[in-house]
Amino acid sequence: MQSDRLISKILLFADGSEGCISAAKYGIALSKITGAALKAIYVVNTDLLKQLERARIFVKVEEIDYERDLEEDGRNYLRQITEMAARQNLSVETDLFKGSVHKIAIQQIEDWQADLLIMGELEPGLSRQDTFHDETELIFRKARCSVLVVKDTERIDQIYENLNRE
Amino acid sequence: MRLSTLLNREAIIVPLQNFEKSAIIEELLEAVSRTGRIIDREKALQALTERENLGSTGLEKGLAIPHARTNAVDGIVMAVGIASEGIDFQSADGEPTHLFFMLLASEAVTSNYVQVLAMIARLNLQSGFRRKMQEAQSVDEVIEIIRQAEE
Repeated sequence: MQSDRLISKILLFADGSEGCISAAKYGIALSKITGAALKAIYVVNTDLLKQLERARIFVKVEEIDYERDLEEDGRNYLRQITEMAARQNLSVETDLFKGSVHKIAIQQIEDWQADLLIMGELEPGLSRQDTFHDETELIFRKARCSVLVVKDTERIDQIYENLNRE
Repeated sequence: MRLSTLLNREAIIVPLQNFEKSAIIEELLEAVSRTGRIIDREKALQALTERENLGSTGLEKGLAIPHARTNAVDGIVMAVGIASEGIDFQSADGEPTHLFFMLLASEAVTSNYVQVLAMIARLNLQSGFRRKMQEAQSVDEVIEIIRQAEE
């Protein structure tokens, strides 16, 4: 059952984009202020890898190699977020998934009953042909909770660094 | 990410001068080497050849994407080649190949590299894009076609 509090569960969406670490810092700062629980997820886009294999761009061995490396990237991002939260004396639950990025992100909002999803800003010049564009747009449209897109990364970095001084 | 950010005039060949698979790979690699982004040319060629030996990167609808992940390059580098006459590149559909995107990426940028491969495949699904690229007569035209397709 969801809490009556405005923000009680913050889901951090780490996608490996430049903005996702700033988004995590914002989430950590917000959690510190509101006392909301934090969870960070990373989804290895195995759907895309399979598509590339079906299109014969990848051979099977490449698909396996790339999946392994992307999984490692995801673990690194989640580890970094855990360490950033720990520096602010907060704990964060983390989970790594594989599959369709938007479907899993939306399912996680439901399953964990998140009331806020925080994600990084898309690159300003992102092509509409980029699957990052599609996945993010689908998350915006289908998420049942509020979605916060973090911008102004310099300011967020400063706020995060100042948290312990307040 | 945008494909157009990976374009470098030095690494666009219109038209390709070679007509045989390994020679085309070398021609594209030579072009991309001119950008100064290749750390080790021989290692890059070896990576491309090893990937080609696993299965041809000649796809359907006139497209080939010779590619490899290797730390012989810094980040993602791309070369584009046009062969309006069509070349036998052992394509998946048996048809001649007209459009070549060579991609090399270091292991640190796997996520972006996968996105770029997917973007090229998506662009090539557009018949207008394929036709315009096949008919391109100059480097400027190729750059403009890719930029427009990304809008």
